[in-house]
Amino acid sequence: MSATASRDPDILVDIRDVHFARGDRPILRGINVPIRRGSVTAIMGGSGCGKTTLLNLIGGRIKPNRGQVLVDGQSVPDLDTDALYELRKRMAMLFQSGALFTDLSVFENVAFPIREHTKLPESILRTVVLMKLETVGLRGARELMPSELSGGMARRVALARAIVLEPTLIMYDEPFTGLDPISKGVIAKLIRSLNENLGITSIVVSHDVAETCQISDYAYLMGDGRIIGEGTPAEVQQSKSEFVRQFMDGLPDGPVPYQHPSSPYVDDLTGRSP
Amino acid sequence: MNARLTLATDVLRNLGAVVLNTLERLGRAALFLVEMLSGVPVVLRRFILIAQQLYAVGVLTLLIILVSGMFVGMVLSLQGYNTLVKFGAEESLGLMVALSLVRELGPVVTALLFAGRAGSALTAEIGLMKATEQLAGMEMMAVNPITRVLVPRFLAGVVALPLLAALFSAVGVLGGHVVGVGMLDVDAGSFWSQMQTNVDFQTDILNGVIKSVVFGIVCSWIAVFEGYDAVPTSEGVARATNRTVVYSSLSVLALDFILTALTLGDI
Repeated sequence: MSATASRDPDILVDIRDVHFARGDRPILRGINVPIRRGSVTAIMGGSGCGKTTLLNLIGGRIKPNRGQVLVDGQSVPDLDTDALYELRKRMAMLFQSGALFTDLSVFENVAFPIREHTKLPESILRTVVLMKLETVGLRGARELMPSELSGGMARRVALARAIVLEPTLIMYDEPFTGLDPISKGVIAKLIRSLNENLGITSIVVSHDVAETCQISDYAYLMGDGRIIGEGTPAEVQQSKSEFVRQFMDGLPDGPVPYQHPSSPYVDDLTGRSP
Repeated sequence: MNARLTLATDVLRNLGAVVLNTLERLGRAALFLVEMLSGVPVVLRRFILIAQQLYAVGVLTLLIILVSGMFVGMVLSLQGYNTLVKFGAEESLGLMVALSLVRELGPVVTALLFAGRAGSALTAEIGLMKATEQLAGMEMMAVNPITRVLVPRFLAGVVALPLLAALFSAVGVLGGHVVGVGMLDVDAGSFWSQMQTNVDFQTDILNGVIKSVVFGIVCSWIAVFEGYDAVPTSEGVARATNRTVVYSSLSVLALDFILTALTLGDI
């Protein structure tokens, strides 16, 4: 498969008709997600709808069963290890847990990618790390160990580490989950300001509707392995689609059923179901 | 009749599943070893990574090794004396203690203790790094976790175990001396001179070293692989740690028999 000639240079990440299954269970069933350079794109959807899978596909950690995943014109599943690692130097991923190295201090965590990929002298390295820590407001916490940080602080340190090599693309995996309102606000502000100040393309995968809509330029809504709605956050919020309405309004029952598929309740209780 | 048939097929099916599963894991472990070995040259150029792990795997295991070595040497001396004295051969006590330690107990007991102390810690550490997405995070930072995390730990284990075994044997001999010469009044001169004349460098010491190198490779390989292959949950890491200790111990004991048979050449 080769990239088609009519590729829009404005599109940094292009996901075309991607199918992915884990064993027999389909996770993605033919989705198309183009992501514009320099934008904040939200991918929203319920838990387990395949959002994180999408990020793993873009990062080349898994390969699609069918379809194309293009990042900056390169087909990610076809790259060999060296080329993939080269590409990954230009992308960053913020994990839900932060994924900080527990045996390294905050400073060393942020310095890690620089130490691994460059031979910068210690004085310049220190300046770069302190600048990134200042950006996330944690310059004063450089000596702390990850176990001494709150959830919100850990995520900010992880963010500083993610931007330390100045990537062109950052993927945020559930950046708001498990945070208090203040920390959520801080992270939202950081995502937006990094995007504007450094020109980084951002993909925010989340199920926090309010925060995500507030900071994104374009939103995709996923359900059942498909894209069920897209548009600017305002358009999505106005959508009449039943699926979209259920998600945006947080209704317990609707096209996405409340019940996990099961045999009839009475049969189950009376022991008649197999 | 039908029920018995189902039972029989069930047993066969389960047995087949276990065999297939074991073979698959063995294959994966072998491929993993090849992948690690291919990363060794890169890691050797960053010796500081190995040095850090040598501290964690080697230095921190030192105390348990020295204390155990001391006691094993003392017991050997006590037991040996009681047997040798019946034949009036208590002068050979030093020789007996040294040979037992250098050829067998040094490498084997050190490897068993190493699996319990350092191997289990390695597995738990790597398994938890996997469970907390630290390894995935590293991959996404374009850093290969195999060369950055696993190979230094593996190499440190391979280097540390023979050194620990040597110290175990040395301290064991001293322990034997304390009991034999100090408490049981064996002549100090014959204790040492019999040892010096009869312990052969090639057949005794070198074979013991070969054993401990093999055990070092096997124990470190198992510990690192189990951690990397662990199911990334608390239960998965607990099971992996458990498997490291069990598999390492069994492999060490089985390999000890094979290596002894090969080096003595009597079978």
